[in-house]
Amino acid sequence: MLALEGIQKRFGGVAALSDGRLDVQAGEVHLLLGENGAGKSTLMKIVAGMQERDGGRMLWNGREVNLRSPAEAAGIGIAMVHQESLLAPHLSVAENIFLGREERRPFGWVSRRRMVERAAGLIERHKFPLRADWRVERLSPAGRQMVEICRAIQHGSSLLIFDEPTSSLSEAETHEVFRIVKELRERRMAVIYITHRLEELRAIGDRVTILRDGKTIHTGPLEGLSTERIIQHMVGREISAIYRREPVPPGDELLRVEGLGRRGKLADINLSIRAGEIVGLAGLVGAGRTELCRCLFGVDPVDTGRISVAGREVKIGSPRQAVEAGIALVTEDRQQTGLALRLPIAHNVTLANLAGVSRRSILNRKAETGAASGYISRLRIRASSPHQLALRLSGGNQQKVVIAKWLFRNARVFLFDEPTRGIDVGAKAEVFAVMDELARSGAALLMVSSELLELLQVADRILVMRQGKITGHLAGRGATQEEIMRLATLAEPSGIGETIQ
Amino acid sequence: MMQRLLPFLSLILLFAGLAIASPHFLTNTNLSSVIRQTAVINIMALGMTLIIIAGGIDLSVGAILAMGGLMGTMAMERGFPITAGVGIGILTGLFWGSVNGMLTTRLRIAPFIVTLGTLGIIRGLTLIISNGLPVHRIPQQFSFLGEGNLLGVPFVLWILVVCALLTHLTLEHTRLGRYAFAIGSNTEAAVYAGIPVKFHTTAVYALGGMLTGLAGMIEASRLMTGQPTAGQGYELQAIAAVVIGGGSLHGGEGSVMGTLVGAFIMGLLSNGSDLLGVSPYLQQAIIGGVIILAVTLDEVRKRRVA
Repeated sequence: MLALEGIQKRFGGVAALSDGRLDVQAGEVHLLLGENGAGKSTLMKIVAGMQERDGGRMLWNGREVNLRSPAEAAGIGIAMVHQESLLAPHLSVAENIFLGREERRPFGWVSRRRMVERAAGLIERHKFPLRADWRVERLSPAGRQMVEICRAIQHGSSLLIFDEPTSSLSEAETHEVFRIVKELRERRMAVIYITHRLEELRAIGDRVTILRDGKTIHTGPLEGLSTERIIQHMVGREISAIYRREPVPPGDELLRVEGLGRRGKLADINLSIRAGEIVGLAGLVGAGRTELCRCLFGVDPVDTGRISVAGREVKIGSPRQAVEAGIALVTEDRQQTGLALRLPIAHNVTLANLAGVSRRSILNRKAETGAASGYISRLRIRASSPHQLALRLSGGNQQKVVIAKWLFRNARVFLFDEPTRGIDVGAKAEVFAVMDELARSGAALLMVSSELLELLQVADRILVMRQGKITGHLAGRGATQEEIMRLATLAEPSGIGETIQ
Repeated sequence: MMQRLLPFLSLILLFAGLAIASPHFLTNTNLSSVIRQTAVINIMALGMTLIIIAGGIDLSVGAILAMGGLMGTMAMERGFPITAGVGIGILTGLFWGSVNGMLTTRLRIAPFIVTLGTLGIIRGLTLIISNGLPVHRIPQQFSFLGEGNLLGVPFVLWILVVCALLTHLTLEHTRLGRYAFAIGSNTEAAVYAGIPVKFHTTAVYALGGMLTGLAGMIEASRLMTGQPTAGQGYELQAIAAVVIGGGSLHGGEGSVMGTLVGAFIMGLLSNGSDLLGVSPYLQQAIIGGVIILAVTLDEVRKRRVA
């Protein structure tokens, strides 16, 4: 039905896909697996007309097609159910199902009654727990997905793509989605199903395609393929030849977290980081790693647990209190949370510690410029001057400005949430060098990363999270990607995933 | 750089053009009257500059101006000394500015809505307090504030210069000013940097209110009445001055110099139209067109930078 051959896609200098291959037949559920960033989503966006490929062929029922928009994809029968639903929240279920395809009467009049009747029929036929007149904003994530599914079916799609449909769903809702997917298969539709949860596979899939580093590594029936093999295919690389950071002897405990919990997000988180240590935090998207950082930094409230910094218990109810306790947060979206882009570098560097360059509220701009210049050379920030606007810097250099801001604030506990997302390889190495320097100067670092290799390179110890809990504790040396992957994806840690304290 | 100077160059060109076009323009009386006419909007616009830089907006300044003027003149009517009256006018502005700031930060409602609401509340209260009647029995010396001269220059110009200088120093050389830029540029990053965002946002509105209260006293002094209906539509003129001067309603951008230039461009356009006999109806349309033109040019410049 659908065949992809040698699909290529580049974003700037980064190749997201170099050889994407996939063939999908009518009446099957085809699983698409791979690590974060392996190219699954990009491949599916190309299939759904949201992105154009740079190279390769896409065949639909034997004919080569070039899709330039989701509307064109829908026109030939391909629809995507998105992870974050793209619905109009203020409209009703029926209105969303028919959005853009309203039954028209003369003068642009929309027949509301017919639309509601047809939507109700559709919902009835598939036994969705929905009503046509409900407003979408009141629906749960699962409900919204069902609306998207209705929409796709109504539009006469013969291929449906599910992008991690269950990542935000409860168990009961997950079963509901499975039931629907199976029903679609019985109606001889084709389903491509992207997932991160390995234990789901067998419940739903027929065949599987595994991507790694932008290439299709394996395609075949799911039967007879062991979970071990799947993980190996997903991870694949040998890591013996890779740089590892030289650990420093750890000093005093700087961060201690006991029994931290937040309803529905985090449960019973315990961890301890000492001066000079870099602790990696692995897990899949949605496992609760970002939520943990946000709670530790006071962005989100916690329901239970205690946090101590340098041996003293601290109350962290706002970022302000976190900053005062000496905690710093460096996030992946530095432009959102880290920088005032239209202000100069110098102003960004001193932002968290203006007291350091002012006296009784009056700024000493010379001292400020001096401080900023110092960090520009110390962190090797490539900038023409401290007065350059932050928005003119590259991603890696912007990230360094954020780090400079926290250094100037004398932060000692650094939370890095995907610090290298979206920056190029060279800049990554430099950010790692800065992190290493921080550890050497006595800071405690917690580093969230979805790139296992990165964690193995940089971290002294690795914690693995899954569904809001810490499911594994590995020594950085000797840990393998397979182990991490297993702890991050499987509900029950077995043999290999033994806890190493 | 060239384009950033554009408002300034337009002001000079406008000035030169008017000097050539009308023999009455470059006279002491006319220039003094331009300064007196623009001073009120100018001082309000300084406060608005702070607020807009911090990513906010204040639609209630016209109403604050009226209540400030009314409270100050009523105090004088009751026998308070002139300076105390002026002080009361300023404090009235400070009070309402703080209310605006607290409502936006504590209730987390968009400042556009909050100040639209307080605009109505303050106007209503001003009419209730005054019974809708203007205050006339004001000591004669009070007219010095708006109409007097000091060292041969209108007294309001001195006030304007001092206010502008202080506002400029606040913006560029104090923590409050820096926080205003940071909050307006990226509120989330400001929160993440541990800045007390709510406090400083409120402080900015309070300062804006104070300047507006002062402007209210100048307006009252020029009219020699405490007029409960004064300042209708002034908020839009103040916002226009900031925007013509390069301030961005998205926050994080703006300057005292720009705002002064913006206010004077509007003042000269209006004065020039009067001198050249352009209909006052057309004047409004011209100023409206200038606002759109100025912002368009500024947007073009910014897009090129980004």
